Amino acid sequence: MRRVLHLEKIFISQYLKQTMEYKADFIVGVLGVLLNQILNLIFLQVIFSQVPKLAGWSLQQIVFIYGFALIPKGLDHLFFDNLWIVGQKLVRKGEFDKYLTRPINPLFHVLVETFQVDAFGELLVGVILLVMSSATVHWTLLKVILFVVSIPFATAIYTALKIGTSAAAFWMKKSNTITYLFYMFNDFAKYPVSIFNHLIRWIISFVIPFAFTAFYPASYFLTGKNVLFNLGGLVVISVVFLFISIKIWDKGISSYESAGS
Amino acid sequence: MTNFLRKYRPFVSAGIEEAIVYRANFILFALGNTLGAFVTYFLWKAVFQSSTNSSLNGFTFPEMVLYIFLSFFTGILTSSDGSSSVGDEVKDGSIAMRILKPISFTANYFYEEIGSKLIDVGVLAVPLFGGILIYQIVGEGTPVLNLVNLLLYFFSATIAYLINFYFNICFSFTVFFFRNLWGSNVLKNALVIFMSGSLVPLAFFPPVLQNVLKLLPFSSLLYTPVMLYLGKYSAQQTVSVLLLQIFWLIFFIFLAKIVWHFAIKHLSIQGG
Repeated sequence: MRRVLHLEKIFISQYLKQTMEYKADFIVGVLGVLLNQILNLIFLQVIFSQVPKLAGWSLQQIVFIYGFALIPKGLDHLFFDNLWIVGQKLVRKGEFDKYLTRPINPLFHVLVETFQVDAFGELLVGVILLVMSSATVHWTLLKVILFVVSIPFATAIYTALKIGTSAAAFWMKKSNTITYLFYMFNDFAKYPVSIFNHLIRWIISFVIPFAFTAFYPASYFLTGKNVLFNLGGLVVISVVFLFISIKIWDKGISSYESAGS
Repeated sequence: MTNFLRKYRPFVSAGIEEAIVYRANFILFALGNTLGAFVTYFLWKAVFQSSTNSSLNGFTFPEMVLYIFLSFFTGILTSSDGSSSVGDEVKDGSIAMRILKPISFTANYFYEEIGSKLIDVGVLAVPLFGGILIYQIVGEGTPVLNLVNLLLYFFSATIAYLINFYFNICFSFTVFFFRNLWGSNVLKNALVIFMSGSLVPLAFFPPVLQNVLKLLPFSSLLYTPVMLYLGKYSAQQTVSVLLLQIFWLIFFIFLAKIVWHFAIKHLSIQGG
C-alpha cells in the first residue's frame, strides 16, 4: 500500500509538470469548467422561475442532488482519466506495450498515470453546491458517516464503466466512442429519476447505473427513506460492476496484440 | 484480370472497413451527444407538467420539443472544428506546412471542413431532422410545417455556419499566445452554448439580458435559425435578424484577416 501511494505521488508530480508547461491555458481551462457549471445552475434557476417544484422536488433539493453528482464524477475525472486514452490511441498505436513491460500491474499503471487537475472545477462547484443546499438535509451522525462511505462507491461506478468500455479496445483497437456513449448517460443522474420514462429509468438504474452515483444516494440523504435500496443498492452495484469490468479488462489484456508496422 | 482483382481486393475491403469504423465511431459519438438533448427534453416535460400554464414565455410544450431537438441539430449543422485543428497544428508544428503553401490559410481549412461536414450532416440529417419532421406532422398541437420557414431556416443556418467558421478561426489565433487551445476552448464552448440559446431559449432570460444577447453574434449562431423555423418572427423581424446575421458574418471575415496579419508575427513553433 505504501508503495502504491508513493508511486501515485511520483506520477502526479510528473503530470503536473506537463500541465504546467501551458500555465495560462490551464488556468483559463479551469475557469471554463467552473463557468460551465455556473451556467448550468443558471439553467436550473430559469427552470425553477417557471415552477415552484419539479416532480415534487424543490430547487434546494435539486441543487443538492446536482452537487452530489459532481463529487464522484470529479474524483473519477481527477484520478482515472487516463482510461480514455487506452481506447483512443494507446492500444491502436501499440503504445500499450509500455505498460506490459513495467513491474507494476498494467491497470494500476494506466489509472495513476494522469492527474487531471481540471477536475478541480467540478469538485469545487460540487462542494459549494452541497454546502449551499446542506440545510435541506437533516444531518445525523449516521448520515454523515454514510455520506463519506458512499462517495468512493459512487466513484467506482464511473471508473468501472470506463475500465470495462476502454478494455473493449483490446479487441476492437479503438473504443473511446463506446466509453463516450456510456459516459454521457451521467447527464441523467443529476435529476430525479421520476422525470424520465420507464426505459431510461431502467437503463440508468441497472444497465449503465449512473442513477446510483447521484440521485439514489442523494435522495436518501434528503428524505431519509429506503436506505437499503438507495445506499445498499449503490454498494452492491458498484462492487458488481467493478468486478465485471476488471474481469473484462483481464480477458482483454490476454488477447492484446501490439500494433505491427 | 481475376488475378488482378484478387491482388487488390484486400485494399478495397480495407478501405470499406476503415470507412465503416470511422462512421461507426462518428455515429456512436453523435448518439452520446443526443443523450444530452433527451435529458433536456425530459426536464422541460416535467416543467410543463408541473406548471399550470400551457405556454411558458411564448413556448408551448410541442414548440419546446421542436426547439430542443432542432437547436441540437442546428448545433451540429453549424459546428466548426477550425479552432482545434489550428490548436493541434501549432502544438506539433505542422502549421508551418500550411503557411508555406501558396494558398489562403483560411480557405484551406474551409474546403477541408466542408468535405467532411457534408458527409457527417448527411448521415445525421436522416434520423435527426427526419425525426423532427415526423414529430411535427404526427405530433399533437405542433406548429404547422411551413415551406417558407423551412427555407428561411436553411438560409439562416448556412450563414450561421459561416459566422461560426470565421469566429472559430479568429478565436483559434489565441493559440499563438496561449500556445495550447484546450483551456480557452472549454471557456469558449461554455459561453457559446449559453449565449447562443442552445442551453435555454433566450426568451427565458430577463428582458435586458435578452436584448443584449440578441444583438451579440452568438444568437446568430443558433437562436436565429431555430426561431425562424418555428415561425416566431414577423416579416419585419425576419429581415432585421437576417441583416444582423449578415453584419456579423462580414465583421468576422474582416476580423479574421486582421488577426491573421498580426498573429503570424507571433508564431513560435515548439519542437520540430
